[in-house]
Amino acid sequence: MSTAIALPKPFTHLESWLSFALPSEDARMRRRLSASMDELLGLYKALVGEMPAIAAHLDQWPLVELPAEQKPLLYLALSFMESAMAVEAFHQPGPPHATTPESMVVFPGRAEQMLSRG
Amino acid sequence: MNSPAGQNMRPFAPRYPQLGTGPVPVSSAVDPAFFELERERIFRGMWVNLILREADLPSPGDYFVRYLEAQDASILVVRGDDGRLRAFHNVCTHRGNQVAEDGAGHCKGFQCNFHGWTFDTRGRLAFVTDEQRFHNLDKSALGLPAVHLDTWRGFIFVNLAKRPAQTLELAMAEFNQDLKPFPFEQMVLAGRYRYTVNANWKVTMNAFQESYHGAFVHKLSVGQCISPEDPYLAVQRIKLQENGNQSVSVHLAPHPLSPAEKLAFGFGATFTQGGDAAQAFPGTAQAQVRDWGFDLNIIFPYSRINVGAGWYYVDAFWPVAHDQTVYELAYYFPMPQRPSEMISQEYSKIVLRDLSREDLATNEATHRSLRSGAIRQMNLSDQEIAVRHLYHTVSARCGKELAK
Repeated sequence: MSTAIALPKPFTHLESWLSFALPSEDARMRRRLSASMDELLGLYKALVGEMPAIAAHLDQWPLVELPAEQKPLLYLALSFMESAMAVEAFHQPGPPHATTPESMVVFPGRAEQMLSRG
Repeated sequence: MNSPAGQNMRPFAPRYPQLGTGPVPVSSAVDPAFFELERERIFRGMWVNLILREADLPSPGDYFVRYLEAQDASILVVRGDDGRLRAFHNVCTHRGNQVAEDGAGHCKGFQCNFHGWTFDTRGRLAFVTDEQRFHNLDKSALGLPAVHLDTWRGFIFVNLAKRPAQTLELAMAEFNQDLKPFPFEQMVLAGRYRYTVNANWKVTMNAFQESYHGAFVHKLSVGQCISPEDPYLAVQRIKLQENGNQSVSVHLAPHPLSPAEKLAFGFGATFTQGGDAAQAFPGTAQAQVRDWGFDLNIIFPYSRINVGAGWYYVDAFWPVAHDQTVYELAYYFPMPQRPSEMISQEYSKIVLRDLSREDLATNEATHRSLRSGAIRQMNLSDQEIAVRHLYHTVSARCGKELAK
């Protein structure tokens, strides 16, 4: 499902979360909504303290020049934001009263398209 | 009228006495015959916001196709080899087959896959297969049937009327002053969402026209933006226009930031943080609203251009049938220059997506209940005057004036 194979140094210790490092918002949303709360809580706790360092590391490059081997780390950071809504707001993967994910489609924005082309 | 604290609890109704204050009948939201009336009297003659930017079709041959259920027409927008944008019915003038599929792409022309008739990017009929067997064919008169197209601040609109009753500029009315200065061209598509909702288009819209529901529907998702002093997020600014357009400003209480929100706000504007008081956002009501968050700008009848502190989103409540709506939302931010900006924007996108899913779930339950006939009217507070205004405008256009 994921094209991610590894995380760059110095974040290789987060590799057990690679299944969340998905290149599209649609896939990350569906991964979150099909995950258990234990799994999302684990992801959140593993990343919340590391996010400033991850952002600083990735910001060594302009987004358009982000090397391919760094992309899985960015995708994982984007999934952190998915887990944050589950953990900080809902205490469950998605909103308790919401339309089903099957009734919606998520299309990529410009940045996602650019990253997947590169 | 005033609360013990001296606050005017019902400021809006006196400004719009023509709307009255009584209950509003719900029949127009559940009656299939009324939907047909809306189709005839409203949808077919309106300027349709395609949720498409001129910049989405930058080069000659770039095109976009969309089937408009409410107007029952497939529309093709294409940039011609002369650089001009045009709209057509997606209908071959031979025997009526479609010449392009739904979606977007790039082409040199459109070939009908039924018998190969071919049209150029200006819509002209360029080639007829086995032409010599036709009788007196005037190819110059057999281009794709034209549809009126106009743009407003880079947004592409079409109008299916033979002669539109008014220009797009006139239809935008007060948005030509209030909204026009917003820097739309500085932002690009960050995400696009499409939801199929089993509810009437008006019922679907209604949850997006006030903030009173926020304390309940969104108490988990954005509860931090609601303060005990203002528990129901009482809207401070509502501007209703005579042609049905509306503007409703939403404010968000200053609040302690969650770890994710703090991270997002550190690298850019967020949906939940509101405006940086030091930075002015032209084309918004920032200066008129305490703790301003964003403005919901409704272009009658069913599309919106909503502007916030450094972002905007365009959405439409596409009517499909009397009991079905497609809600489509396109969210725009400045193109992220650094990865951290993309991470920041992701937070706002996810919040807005989760909020939308909460709103739409309520819509479906409401529509089912209204359909049952258990209640015949809605009781609306002063905070819900934009909901009242929508029903009044729609009913008046359909020749069924509501009582005041």
